[in-house]
Amino acid sequence: MKRRSFLTRLGAAGTMGAMGGLAAPAIFRGAGQAWAQGAEIPIGLLFSLTGEVAVVERTLHDAALLAIEEINAEGGINGRPLKVHIEDPASDPATYADRARRLFIRDNCVSVFGSYTSASRQAVLPVVEQRKGLYWYPTLYEGRECSRNIMYGGAVPNQQQQDFVPWLVENFGGRFYLLGNNYVYPKEENNVCKMLLDQLGGEAVHEEYVPLGHSDFSSVINRIRSTGPSLIFSTLVGDSDVAFARQFHAAGFDSAKMPVASLTRSEVEVAAIGGEAAAGHLSSAPYYMGYSSPENERFVEAYKSRYGGDQVTHFVSEAAYFQVYQFKAAIEKLDPAEITPEAIRDAAVGVTLKAPQGEILVDPNLHTHLWPKIARWKSDGQAEILVQSAERIAPEPYWAYAGETCTGEGLVRS
Amino acid sequence: MNRNNRADYLGHIVFILAILLGVPALLGFDGFELNTFARYLSLAIVASALALSWGTAGILNLGQAATFGIGAYVMAMHLKLVASAGNPDGLPDFMGWNNVTSLPWFWLPFQSLTVTLILGLALPALLAWAMGIFMFRARITGVFVAIITLAFLVALQLWFIEEQRFTGGQNGLTGLAPLDLFGWSVDTYSLGFYYLVAGCLIAALVIGSLIVRSKVGLVLRAIREDSQRVRYFGYDVARYETFVFSTSAAIAGWAGMLYALVLEFASPTYIGVAFSLAIVIWVAVGGRESLVGAAVGAILVNLAEGRLSDMFVESWLLILGVMFILFVLFLPRGLYGLLRQGFGRIARLREGQGPKDARAQESAQ
Repeated sequence: MKRRSFLTRLGAAGTMGAMGGLAAPAIFRGAGQAWAQGAEIPIGLLFSLTGEVAVVERTLHDAALLAIEEINAEGGINGRPLKVHIEDPASDPATYADRARRLFIRDNCVSVFGSYTSASRQAVLPVVEQRKGLYWYPTLYEGRECSRNIMYGGAVPNQQQQDFVPWLVENFGGRFYLLGNNYVYPKEENNVCKMLLDQLGGEAVHEEYVPLGHSDFSSVINRIRSTGPSLIFSTLVGDSDVAFARQFHAAGFDSAKMPVASLTRSEVEVAAIGGEAAAGHLSSAPYYMGYSSPENERFVEAYKSRYGGDQVTHFVSEAAYFQVYQFKAAIEKLDPAEITPEAIRDAAVGVTLKAPQGEILVDPNLHTHLWPKIARWKSDGQAEILVQSAERIAPEPYWAYAGETCTGEGLVRS
Repeated sequence: MNRNNRADYLGHIVFILAILLGVPALLGFDGFELNTFARYLSLAIVASALALSWGTAGILNLGQAATFGIGAYVMAMHLKLVASAGNPDGLPDFMGWNNVTSLPWFWLPFQSLTVTLILGLALPALLAWAMGIFMFRARITGVFVAIITLAFLVALQLWFIEEQRFTGGQNGLTGLAPLDLFGWSVDTYSLGFYYLVAGCLIAALVIGSLIVRSKVGLVLRAIREDSQRVRYFGYDVARYETFVFSTSAAIAGWAGMLYALVLEFASPTYIGVAFSLAIVIWVAVGGRESLVGAAVGAILVNLAEGRLSDMFVESWLLILGVMFILFVLFLPRGLYGLLRQGFGRIARLREGQGPKDARAQESAQ
């Protein structure tokens, strides 16, 4: 070995030493302080900024951060600014669990806003429940969960389907081709859909699940051709949805005769699909970027001016945004001395708020009353709202399961 | 070699003392910090398991996460059954969601903790044994072993995701009960739990070191250098390779069980390529020729990752990547190699050898 190469190795060891030096200060950091004493209110953001779900989660991060900045610009909540701790869980469940520990235990956050996928929510759940924290989850999900430590801002199956499925049967017929990715959310949505089809006299002509990220739909398209359904009921997510939409369009199907009716497609996916291939297909969601309300105009305007004119808002980022305001409304009801996650949760129940989608309400079961809308995508990437639900729809996470109800006391079995 | 042995022993003792006394004291016996460090220690176990097969016998197992993940799922299955005891038929919730009506037979053994603990070691070992027979009897070596193990890992992960009726699919196994270890309800934020994991790490290192220092270890090192020559000496090379491969798998399964305890869920990402390659990186950083070196590598990289992600929320992955590249370029034998080189130099200087002799001796090593 030459002396010089030994020296370069020493240099590399110096890099390593620097790593060790970085590691040291964390060791001496003590436990946090009581919530009530500080002037700032500590909260956390736990959305992936890197990795495969970062495309969506960054928009949620941005929307929540926008709300936080708006609140702080107006002097905080009851004069106390929000101190935001930002973590990047890198799309990895184990990292979510680790960063959630940091936010709840080390940083003493009274609330953390985070997660898009069910897997990441489930990874965070043990530490939230063990530490009696409060986790604000903005995403639509499969329901059948009734944690007392999670605030659910997104739709559960009954909110997206109870108006949508009957409307689809009436307008296109009752022969549904159920297509989704292979995980718990599509399966559960389809369980609910099949129950509704039973009641309406329709049927599921085929039910099919492809792996997450699956992108070759030629055999699916052949099966669609041979079964000839009234419509495709889709719970494909992300890249799979984009690939399917393009191939479905390329196969020459007419969206006016056999549309894809999706529970998961938002402005983000439509932008990736391209306006022409997405045009004419249908979605059911509580919010669209093009919905006209003064609150939404303000939200879209603020979002674009903060993050750029080419950015889109969608039904999950809207929830990420309004959940921060629900949090604010809850804190405003509390004495500064009694701000704890549990007190915030209890104060949040019953809070009504003018969100971009309409006036929403927090149910005692910690889910949110929402305004589902049926819309048709246009070639400019925006949605044209066809049917606005007549009334705010209550969340029923155990809708399809007789004898189980999610209440203010948790899950009740009768 | 004696001098190196002495230095190695000293290193072992320093490491064990640091884990048992230094770290808890430095962390101020804080529950959160200890929990985080216990996670690093369980990862250190799987790193030293890889060093056992890679460093000693030259078998680069890129699918180490497979056996690690099986261990994690075994433990999680037991805890899931405990948590589901109140359900009708004791059926875990996710099975009900997937329209499974009764508990599948292969879940039944996991109702018993003892059986679970045994299977957590035995299943990975058996699997590795079967793979080992297939690979090593056919005299597959080097990069092909790496490819086969990696392919197996990918297949296993797909299978775990596909079979969501029985494995929880993408979400994995969540909503687990705390472990009741023969009457002791394990609080993962306690000092006791930290010492449980630390004790397991030390035990795994001792077992590994005994193998490395035994005659078997000598044969394995010989196989690493020149398997053909060892074969001509009359040794059954495949048997030795299969043995170390299975032992490494059992230790990885052990680490997986602890990991599921720390994080309180099992996820298919534990069987992922990214995680498996991360293990290789830790071992490369620490030095694959030393089990303790690999363990230290795992701990240091994870500490650095934790610290960097705290300071550079946006770019921590990038910084980490650059560091790994620097390591591979300038320290191919890892920190252990560097230390050994340093020790060797100091010792030689003390014995008054000229640099010329030292260089000659070094090349002779």
